[in-house]
This record gives sequence, C-alpha cells and structure tokens, in this order.
Amino acid sequence: MSAILLDALRYLGYILIFPGFLFCFLTGLLLCGIDRKLVARMQKRVGPPILQPFYDFFKLCGKETIVPATVTSKTVFLLAPLVGLASLVVLQLFIPIFSFRAFGAVADVIVILYLLLIPAVSVIMGGSVTGSPYAGVGLSREMVTILACELPLVLVLLSVAKTVGNALDTGLCFSLTQIAAFQAKYGSLILRPSMIPAAIAFLLIIPGETGNHPFDAAEAETEICEGMLAEYSGAPLGVYKLNHAVKMLTMTSLFIALFFGGIGTGIEQLAAAMGLTGGAAGMVVILLDVLVMFLLCVLTTAVGISFVHAVTARLKIEQIFKYYWTVVSGLALISLVLSWYGF
Amino acid sequence: MSTEFVRHFPIFAIMLYFLGAFLIVMLGKVRALRHGIAFVATAGPLALLIALVKPIMIDGGIIAYWMGNRVPAGGYAIGIALEVDALGLFFGLLIATAVFVSCLYSFRYMERDDNVPQYYTLFLMLAGGVMGLVLSGDLFNMFIMVEILTFAAVALTAFRNRANGALEAAFKYLVVGCMGSTCILAGTILLYAQARTLNFAQLSALIPGNLGTSTKLAFALLFIGFSTKAFIVPFHPLAADAHGAAPASISVLISGVLTKSGIYGLIRLTYFLFQTMELGTMQFWLVFLGSVSMFVCVTMALAQHDFKRLLAFHSISQIGYVLTAVGLATGLGVSAGLYHAMNHTLFKGLLFLAAGAVLHETGTTDLNRLGGLAKKMPHTTALFLIGAASISGIPPFNGFASKWMIYQAAYQKAAETGNIGFALVTIIALVTSTLTLASFVKVSQSVFFGRLPKEYEKVQEVPFGMRFAMGILALLCILTGLFPGLVTKYLTEPAARAVFSVGTYINSMMGEGTIILQNPVVNFAQAGVWSPINWLFLLIIALLAITIVAISGKYDRVREMNAEKPEGKYDLFFGGEESVYSQVGGEDLFWGFKHNWRHYFGFMHELHSGVVNDYALWAVVALALAIVYATIVL
Repeated sequence: MSAILLDALRYLGYILIFPGFLFCFLTGLLLCGIDRKLVARMQKRVGPPILQPFYDFFKLCGKETIVPATVTSKTVFLLAPLVGLASLVVLQLFIPIFSFRAFGAVADVIVILYLLLIPAVSVIMGGSVTGSPYAGVGLSREMVTILACELPLVLVLLSVAKTVGNALDTGLCFSLTQIAAFQAKYGSLILRPSMIPAAIAFLLIIPGETGNHPFDAAEAETEICEGMLAEYSGAPLGVYKLNHAVKMLTMTSLFIALFFGGIGTGIEQLAAAMGLTGGAAGMVVILLDVLVMFLLCVLTTAVGISFVHAVTARLKIEQIFKYYWTVVSGLALISLVLSWYGF
Repeated sequence: MSTEFVRHFPIFAIMLYFLGAFLIVMLGKVRALRHGIAFVATAGPLALLIALVKPIMIDGGIIAYWMGNRVPAGGYAIGIALEVDALGLFFGLLIATAVFVSCLYSFRYMERDDNVPQYYTLFLMLAGGVMGLVLSGDLFNMFIMVEILTFAAVALTAFRNRANGALEAAFKYLVVGCMGSTCILAGTILLYAQARTLNFAQLSALIPGNLGTSTKLAFALLFIGFSTKAFIVPFHPLAADAHGAAPASISVLISGVLTKSGIYGLIRLTYFLFQTMELGTMQFWLVFLGSVSMFVCVTMALAQHDFKRLLAFHSISQIGYVLTAVGLATGLGVSAGLYHAMNHTLFKGLLFLAAGAVLHETGTTDLNRLGGLAKKMPHTTALFLIGAASISGIPPFNGFASKWMIYQAAYQKAAETGNIGFALVTIIALVTSTLTLASFVKVSQSVFFGRLPKEYEKVQEVPFGMRFAMGILALLCILTGLFPGLVTKYLTEPAARAVFSVGTYINSMMGEGTIILQNPVVNFAQAGVWSPINWLFLLIIALLAITIVAISGKYDRVREMNAEKPEGKYDLFFGGEESVYSQVGGEDLFWGFKHNWRHYFGFMHELHSGVVNDYALWAVVALALAIVYATIVL
C-alpha cells in the first residue's frame, strides 16, 4: 500500500513540480525573458530585465478579468487558457530530458504532433467565443499557420522515425523513448548528414509553432490587436502569455530531444568519471541533464527564435503558408528521401 | 442461449425492420403507435445483434443460415442464404446503432413535417435494406437489398420536396445510383453465367484461379457499383447534394450506413470473391482511390458554406481514410480501417444531428448567416464540439485513435515494402486531418461562436429527445476513443481476422473440406505507443491543479461588461468597417490557405458543375477505367 502511495506521490511530483507545472512555469518564462533581452541586444536596445515576463504575469494576475457581453460561452472563454496550459504541461512530461523520462509509454511522436494542436485549438476556441472581428481574423490566421507548419513537421517526424527504424531493424520507430535510447547508443541524430536538413526545417518550424516573429501574423499586435487575445484581460491573458512561454520551452526541448539526444551519454560518462555511485550519481546526472537541456534550449531559442525575430519583418499570412509548404517542407523532404534510401 | 436459437437472430434482425415498415403503413396514423413500432423495430435488431457478439466476435463462430433449410446439395448452393461472420456482424452493429439513434432523434425532429408515417416506412426500408445487404450470403440478394436501399434513400432525399434543391438532389442521386445498381446487376449476371451459382461462398471458391475476360469485366462492374454506394471519388458530388437536401436523421443514415454498405461490398468483392488483395496493383488501386477521396473531398469541404454540404464532403473524406486503410491489406491496416469506419458512423452521425438541430431551430444551415448559437444552444454546442474534436482527430477522442492506427499501418506498410508511395499516403492522411480540423474550426466559428445575428436572438435549445440521441453518440465517441484496446480486441480485430479467413468462410457455408485455404497469419503489432486513459488522467490532474491555483489566485474574479451598447464611441472598428459588418464569412475564413491553392480551387470549382449529365459521364469514365484496369492487372 505504501509503495502505491509513494508512486502516486512521485507521479504527482512529476506533474506539479518537475518536469511538470512548476518547472514549465519557471523555465518557460525565463526562456521568454532571455529571448526578449537577446532580441533587444541584437537591435541595440537595452531591453527589459530578464525577469520581466514574471513581473508581467503576476501583474496580469492581479488585474480584474473582464468578460465582454458579446462572449457566447463564458465557460469556454475562461477555461480555454487553462486547458491549453494543462495540455502543454502534460506534453512536457513526455519529452525525454536525455536519460530522464517522467513517463515513457504513454505517447509517441505522432501523438505529440496532435497534442501540440490542443493548445492551439484552445486559443482558437477562446478567441472564437468572444465574437470580436479581431479574433475572427486572428483565428483564421492561426489556423492557416498551423496548417502551414503541419506538413514540414510531419515530414521531419517521419524522417526521424525512419532513420531510427533503419538502425533498429524495425523499419520504423515512433516511440520517443526508443528515439532517445537510440541516440544514447549511436550518437545524436544531428551527426548524420541526412538529418541536417530536417534539423534546419525543425528550427524554422519553432517560431511558426510558437507564433513568434516573423510568423506571428495571427497575433500581429500592431495590426489586429493580438487577434484572439484582443478581448482577454487579467489572469486569463496572463495564462495565455504563460502558454506562449511554455510552448517555446516545449518546442525547443523537443528539438533537443529529437536531434541532440546523444549528449546525455556524455553527461553519464562525466558523472561516472567523477566517481559518483548509487543514488547520488542519479541525482547529479538528472541535475546535469536538466541544466544542459536548459542551456541548449536557450541556445536554440537564441538561434531559432531571437535571431530570426531580430532580423526579419512580419510576413503576410499567405507568404507564411507558401514559405512553409515550399522551402521548409522541401528541406524536410530531402531528409525523408535520404533516410528512406538508408543514408 | 443455445447456438440453435442464436442462429435465427440475423434473419429476425432483417425482418423486424421490414415488418416495422409495413406495420407503420397500416397503423402509422396514430402518433404513439407509430413511435412505438419504430422504436421496437429499430431497438430490436440492435439487441439481437449485440447478443451475437459473444458467439461470433469472441468465440469466432460463423452463422450459416439457409432459408427453408435448403442446404447445398451436390456441392451446389441453390437456396437463399444468410452468412454472418465477424465482418458482417461488425457492419451490422454499426448500422443497427446508427439506425436506432437516428430513429430516436427523428421522433422530435420530424414532428413538424407532413406525411410522417411515410417517412418512417421509408426509413425502416432503408435500414432493412442495408442490414440485409451486410448479412446476406448471396450476391443476388445483395443486389436486391441495394435496390431497396437506393430507392428508399432517393425517396428520403426528396422527402422535404418543398425545400430548395431537394428534388434536384434526389434526381441526381437516382440517375447515378441507378447506374451503380445496374452495374451490380450486370456483374452478378456475368458471374452467374460463369459459375452457375449466386452463393457468395461458392463463388469465392470457384472464381479465384478461373478468371476469364468476362469475370474480369464482372469485377470492374461490381467494383464501380459498390463505389457509387460508398460515394468515393468520382461519385462524391452526389453525396453533397443528397446530404444537403435530406433531413438530418437521413443524412446520418446516408453517411453512417449507406457509405458503409459500399465499403462492405468492396471488402467482400476484393478480399473474398476475387481474393485479389495480395496483388500489389490492387492494393495500389484501393489506396490510390482512398487517398484521392480523402484529399479532394477535404479541400472541397473547405470551400463550402453550407453546414450539411460541408459535412457531406467530410464524410467522403473519412471514407477515403477507411478505403486507404483497408487497401493496405495488412492486419493492422484492415483493423484500423474498420475502427475508423465505426468511428465515422459515430462522430459523423453526431455532427449531422447537430446540424439538424441548428436547422430545426434556425431554419438555415448557411454558415455565412449563422453565428453565436453557443449562447442559445449550449448543449448542442458542447455535443457538436465533441463530434468536431473526434473527426479532427484531437486526442483523446475516437477519431484520433483510429487515424493514429491508420498512419502507423500506412507507414509500416511503406517500411515493409520499401515503397515510398505509402509514406506519401501517411503524409496526405496527416495533412488531411489538419485540414479537417481547419474546416471544423470554421464551422464552430461561424455557427456556434462568433457573433449572434439579430434574427436568431429568440432561438432556443432543441428538445430533450434530440439532445438525448446526440448524447448517446457523443458518449460512444468518448468511450471508443478512451479504450482503443478494448475496441480493437473485441470488435475490429475479430472482424479483420474474418477478412483474412476466406477459407473458413467458404467451408462453414459449403461444408467442411470444400476448399483448403490456409488463413494467413494476421499481424496487429503497432510501432507506436498511445494510452489515452493515462494521458487523460495526467491531463485531468494537471488541469485540476492549474484550476485550483488559478481560482485561489482570484482567476474567477470576473466582471461582465458591455462595452458596446451605450454609445458608438466604444464600438469596434475593423478595416474601417463597423464590427457588425466586419465578421469574416464562413467561406473566406481560411483565405491565406485558399489563396495559395487558388488554381486548384478554381479548377475544382469548374469541374463540379452541378449538372447531372457531367456526373453520369464521370461514372461512365470511371467504369471504363475500371474495366481497363481490371483486364490488365487481374
């Protein structure tokens, strides 16, 4: 009985603290702050303090929530941001942090592809119930952005599945756990020349999925007043901002998990070299894993989000769609074809 | 229950529908009596078929039932036979469920119409026709049932004949549907001339290995005949017209039951009668047709601005998924296809009923005119959202479970055969799924959310009876999504195994030892992991935790505010227009997508002329192509 209780407590800890809610909250907002600072420095501005997203979040939580009279369903209006956040937090549980995995056998990469849709759909639903024309335009663009990202994302995931499957002799492999195990054994996927186009494609998908510049036509503050968030205020708006931050963490850590999983082996060797054994070694490895993962996420953010943000102007929605379905999909397709013929 | 007793259940299931139809003609003038008869006639077959789950699905038996006990003599099957294996029972269960729910819904939905007794008569004839088709063990009886269901469906399409376009839709359906039925009849005649028997099992034993030119011609004719019943490309425009005009409860039957009968026919034709599915070319043919239907119809749906026409195109798109999966000819593929067929019946039924509820209360299904109904019809909205999430494949609803299996099956097939074409199919299927989501975002935005037009301010929630029927389907959508393991174990895998056991099918009908065919080893192994219950559990805990944190942080300290009413200065302006005029219409919602695909959409627009002559021509061309293909590859 006490074993079950202990397990339950452990899983609860996973969900609420690490790598679940609290971890997502802290690292996501931190990542967001770093991104803002980096963009500012690249544009020769001073920029906000790195902790600014935290201040913003707590400020919004202290404000009054106003529900406009045009809202057709108050429940959906208030619940949408929370559902989005919950699904993101749960999604984060399935992404392996090198050797550490909270839950292994629940979801594979195809499921992840769909779980990524839930936050997007919840923000669309939330905007949709407000009845605001800004939200209408925003959700239309958001949906088209999702469509745009979907094709290259599918191609990237299928080429990863095929590459790993080739090596494991199963033909294909969708399981994230196995993808992580494969990389621990044979080295990171990024080291394979055939996977480099796919990695670049994924890097380009990240700002599209998170709705960052130049693919933020759906939010476009200066044009349609943040689109679906136009009618939101107070704590729900704060939760949406948090969702955006967590999504940055999710996408970047997924990128690391898919392409840089081999680094985990190095960490384990390092811990072994330090002469640690038993429980202490496990703790140190996890700590190091998380630290390295976070640093890599920051690096990915810097390259994939901040740099792109700093040097580009916002694209129109039909340009976004065209870009993803031609350039990015083309890159991913190269990887798929290469992996198909065994490279 | 003894097996002797259970053997009579299939014929009773068929008879109850027809008996109900005739009783309603005689006694249907009285409302209570009419409803009572219709209820018994639809609930009875469902109960009978559920009772058959144990002996057939779980114990793996096959019921061979000879009318008048005319068993085969001298190796020739003369009598009329019913043969119920796991595949037939699977489709029978789908049909009985859809018919039952649709009947419950009809009680309130149809009460404002004229000639209601005739409606129930035709309704039960249609149901009986489809049930007879899937339980029959005889090719000619299949044709008769096809005729019954086609004419009942045509008449029901035109039932609201004062509505705009109902007669036109029925006429189109009649023309092309009859071409299909004629094809089936011609194919049957050709096979009879060759094999001197109409019994399915005996034909399956005789035909493979003895293919003459006329047998190949028969294959092409039967293939096109059943394709028209499944409405796959190029027969999809008929479905759109028929669904748009028919009452919603009939749309449920057309999409959930009629198209399934077409798919059932195709499975019987390719896996049993001709046993051609081992041919790579045949697999290619089915997968190609399925993928084309899947993609063409989802893009057609994106261009629609009528709720029911949009659903109709999605219906064909989902049938495309089923056909693709079945065409893969692997254990997992067939199991996934049947799973999706079941899910399609459930969620598409739910969506059509929701569309019917909107029509019932507002009198229109035009997406450009509706909006904001969530405020007036909260329950219908919630039920619609469940259906929409299911069809778009949002986890953990049922559409996701089956689509996920289809992706895996297609990609596994690609890995096994080394054919990159099947990988392309996986990609098309995944993109189609997202396009489906886009389409339902459009519906939810332009019907249930968005702004409520002035003229619909007095709209009310639909009666409880209609919501109850929708609720049953919604519950089934959730349950089949949450327990994919149970569904595959008890329903789709036995049915898929039956698809691959032609030998057993023939022998149980014609007597042991008629044919020696080893059943292939059927592999249901999956490459991925997905346990919806665990995921849902995690989600609920996370959601609870977040909600508690949010509420303790005064998340619900809410003030409702009307920033618009007092005077114009608070009004929203968008693009220089007042907000009332600046809503994006349902048609143009995904402008960014459609702009990039404008040449494709322009091409499609010109192609779908709406003239029945064109569609009949397509059918002829399809038949010609099928004949050429069959003579070359078989």
